[in-house]
Amino acid sequence: MELRKYINTYILGVIGSIILILSEFFSWFSDDTLIEIYVLYISSALEDSFLFLFPLLSGGICLLGSILVIYKFEFKVQSVIISFMGLGFLLIFFFDYISQVIEYISNAGIGFYLGVVGFLLILFNILNMLINNRTTNGG
Amino acid sequence: MSISKEPDEQINNSKRQDTEARFYYALSHEIRRKIIKLIGENENISFTKLKKELGVSTGTIYHHLDTLSELIKQKKDKKYYLKELGVYAYKSLKNNIETIKTPDFTHQEFKSPILRKLMKITYKRFIQFEKGDKKLTIIISLFILITGTILCGLNNFYSIFLFFIDSGQNFMDFFLQTLISFNFILNFFVFFIIIEGISQLFYKKKENTLDFLISFPIIQFPMVFYLISHLFFKLFNILNFSIFNLLDKILLIVFQVWSLWLLSYSLSVKKGLKIESSLIISLLLHYGSFTIILFVLV
Repeated sequence: MELRKYINTYILGVIGSIILILSEFFSWFSDDTLIEIYVLYISSALEDSFLFLFPLLSGGICLLGSILVIYKFEFKVQSVIISFMGLGFLLIFFFDYISQVIEYISNAGIGFYLGVVGFLLILFNILNMLINNRTTNGG
Repeated sequence: MSISKEPDEQINNSKRQDTEARFYYALSHEIRRKIIKLIGENENISFTKLKKELGVSTGTIYHHLDTLSELIKQKKDKKYYLKELGVYAYKSLKNNIETIKTPDFTHQEFKSPILRKLMKITYKRFIQFEKGDKKLTIIISLFILITGTILCGLNNFYSIFLFFIDSGQNFMDFFLQTLISFNFILNFFVFFIIIEGISQLFYKKKENTLDFLISFPIIQFPMVFYLISHLFFKLFNILNFSIFNLLDKILLIVFQVWSLWLLSYSLSVKKGLKIESSLIISLLLHYGSFTIILFVLV
């Protein structure tokens, strides 16, 4: 089957990215999901409203990087750079948001855990790509 | 006419091929390449200096000088000079030095459009500097350190690797502001020691430590750009607008990635590491420092 060619360990990067995108639609530290907080903040014209879109942006960029390496392993350095860029958004989100809600860290919602799992899976995928010396597709 | 021209053309072609063969044969040996580089860098060279630099026997040097007869000549002052073909050979060696030093960069993946653009914004000249560029590299590195220090103070930023933490105080005691400024230099040395330590401990790469230190501030160059842009946003008080806040964050990410690329490239060139290994070091350090900062915040 043609699909089998694309199912390898690098699929973890895709799963991580999808989990990260999904975390946008779950609550992190309040009853509202990140997308709801974004809509609320943007309607109030608050300065860091775009911050709440960062997990979604990060997941999207990392998904692009992960698909690229599955499509052609020769693009692994490009994929790593794209993933660096994607995870950069998530790092800034973690910094800015977690420092704001630090007192609620023990009551974190499912979105937070999904975000952390997605981040770790993408990180593992990058390391896996760099350690692996395979030069062609498939396995 | 065409019949009489053909043998001439054949003779010319044959002569050209002979010169080409002698040219590449002359450059095929490491000692001969060193001789060409030494003469090229110094304009001329005496036999005594050549012997001292090469550290091989007199007979070996004479043998290689003889082989290089098409590329070099000895003048009345007994010194060796480059002929026209020698100058071409020296330029060719100098231009291809990057490829010679890091064969990994000839790999197919470095020919892609994204990496070609990244290579264009990589200061190769100052990262893998030659003897002649050493002073200029030191000046540029010091300039980056001083500028970064001043800008850190003006932005009230603590510098941790490639991250900046806002001190959160707009009006600060001058002494405290100076102390925060010097955190940029302290961060630079800690950053360097960790990178050098990792490459020595895990990859057994102990060479070029001083050269690596000299060119290390080049890695922080994109972060200086970020400090300038942030100061600009701060001075005009536009960070309160969500779009400029977003732009500020995007700029931080872009400059961080650019710095990480410079770090990986620098490690690859100076320490002779494969680009994949350099990226692993950059990645571990970047996300490691992020974890440390997060723990500090928590």
